[in-house]
Amino acid sequence: MIRVAVVDDEPLARSGVLARLRVEPDVTVVGECSDGHGLAALRRDRVDVAIVDVQMPGLNGLDGLAAIPRDERPLAVLLTAHDSFAIRAFELEAVDYLLKPIDDERFAEALERVRRKLGHEVRPVPAERFAIRIGARLSFVEVNAVTWIEADGDYAALHADGQRHLLRESLQELSRKLDPARFLRVHRSAIVRVDQIAEMLPRPNRDAVLRLRDGTTLRASRTYIDALMAALNRVA
Amino acid sequence: MRVDRSVTLSPAMAWVAGLPILGCMMVMSLPALADERVLAFRLFYAVAYLFWIVPLGWLQRWLWRRGAGWWAMAGVLLPVTYAMSVGNALLALTFIASEKMRAQAGVAWIFGGLDGCWLALIAFCGFQAIVLHRAALALEGERLHQAAQAARDAELRALRYQLQPHFLFNTLNAISALVHDDRPRDATRMIARLGDFLRTTLEETPGHEHTVADEIALTAAYLDIEKARLGERLHIETYTAPGTLEARVPYLLLQPLVENAVRHGIAPRTVPGTIAIRFEGDGHELRVSVANDATDVTEGAMGVGLANVRARLEALYPDNHHIVVGPESGRWRVRITLPWVVATTLTEAAA
Repeated sequence: MIRVAVVDDEPLARSGVLARLRVEPDVTVVGECSDGHGLAALRRDRVDVAIVDVQMPGLNGLDGLAAIPRDERPLAVLLTAHDSFAIRAFELEAVDYLLKPIDDERFAEALERVRRKLGHEVRPVPAERFAIRIGARLSFVEVNAVTWIEADGDYAALHADGQRHLLRESLQELSRKLDPARFLRVHRSAIVRVDQIAEMLPRPNRDAVLRLRDGTTLRASRTYIDALMAALNRVA
Repeated sequence: MRVDRSVTLSPAMAWVAGLPILGCMMVMSLPALADERVLAFRLFYAVAYLFWIVPLGWLQRWLWRRGAGWWAMAGVLLPVTYAMSVGNALLALTFIASEKMRAQAGVAWIFGGLDGCWLALIAFCGFQAIVLHRAALALEGERLHQAAQAARDAELRALRYQLQPHFLFNTLNAISALVHDDRPRDATRMIARLGDFLRTTLEETPGHEHTVADEIALTAAYLDIEKARLGERLHIETYTAPGTLEARVPYLLLQPLVENAVRHGIAPRTVPGTIAIRFEGDGHELRVSVANDATDVTEGAMGVGLANVRARLEALYPDNHHIVVGPESGRWRVRITLPWVVATTLTEAAA
């Protein structure tokens, strides 16, 4: 079980996080605090991960985390309304940071990153093909033919050979089934095949825009940029 | 036009501006080179000219700043320059002229024979008046230009703010409907998208333009909300030609067009529809197109959004853009052509 502490000064915000954690079978909430002082008292031997609001009166989330000795510090997932803390979040080795209002899929993704960090992750053998159900018929799409995958409500749309195939699966589930060396999550709403990226243009806010070989243009958000850059350098 | 008299010339500049007249005096005295005495007169006049234009220039600029009219200036400057010239003549007669010349020169010579001196001083005043007037006009022109710029800025900003509130309230309304409908997942999803969209619009650049890449990101944040509302019925294809991502476009160019495409092209239909956004260009012009599947849209239905885009294009690129709206090979399409400008400064700032 992953032991989680939730730190936020607003009770309503805490209950929002707790509600999202309740549906995770491998997570147990071991603590709740409403300020940075409570946070500063947390230690790794009791808590695996702290989900921390950055803006709190008194001691803020970042200072609260910094007050814990580095090798006793639990993993941290930061919550913030403004996204100007990325550099300090990086220094504090935060696993992820989420923007408010919280997006359910991004929240699930942050937990996935925590599992990976804690070594709880089970990665299946990469899939070779996808089965697409159209009415009663099943058709198959080779993974090699897929250039990018787009989130579409509760579905994922596979783009392959100029066509769009709907699969009833979340991008998060899909990204676990794909070879991480070839397919990368670039945005909450998109996975791309790395060798399809033709151009990448950084934006002033550290996000980027990607152009694929067929001209399709997509956003890449900053939380995925590091992994993306690493993958692109591997291609070179 | 009333000119602004606070504009003036520095004394040094006025003096330099008087030099061409000295050049004329030099040329006019060339025939006198043979006669040593006449040459001495000419040289004296030249030095006297350079001396007199200092107080004369100051006096004229003082009158100018005081707002004196042209006649008043002439009324003061003509007697003053005349007096200076008479002074010159007296000095020249006393120190340079030969005995014979002194004997010949009478009152008439002193008060009438002011060749090469009075005219030069009057010419200097005329010269300085033109320079002062031109400087004032240039300043006025600059001010008019700035005023026009400010008016354009205000207009563009007003047009930009016209876009967001109604969209914001529509979205809040949709969220409240989802809550009533007991669809918490869809409601939280739409709230998260709205948060992303607001964040994206709040990080706006100070100018009226940004890169195609920024515009695509902004439009995508907007379309995420529409997708949350319409689900699988809304497909988006965004195509950019190589090199177009860095070209500049007006801030929020696409949003009203895409919103129209959703309202009139996708929302009323029951089958899924596609909105295709394309950016192409060749280094001279940038071609933007937004197309949706339905063709039975009337331009009138495009309403405020399209009028808004037209008004902003007219303000930003007067006589340098095209916009064509209408059915085209089975789809409804808006085509816009803009001048091609690449945003080097923006990407440098980002780096």
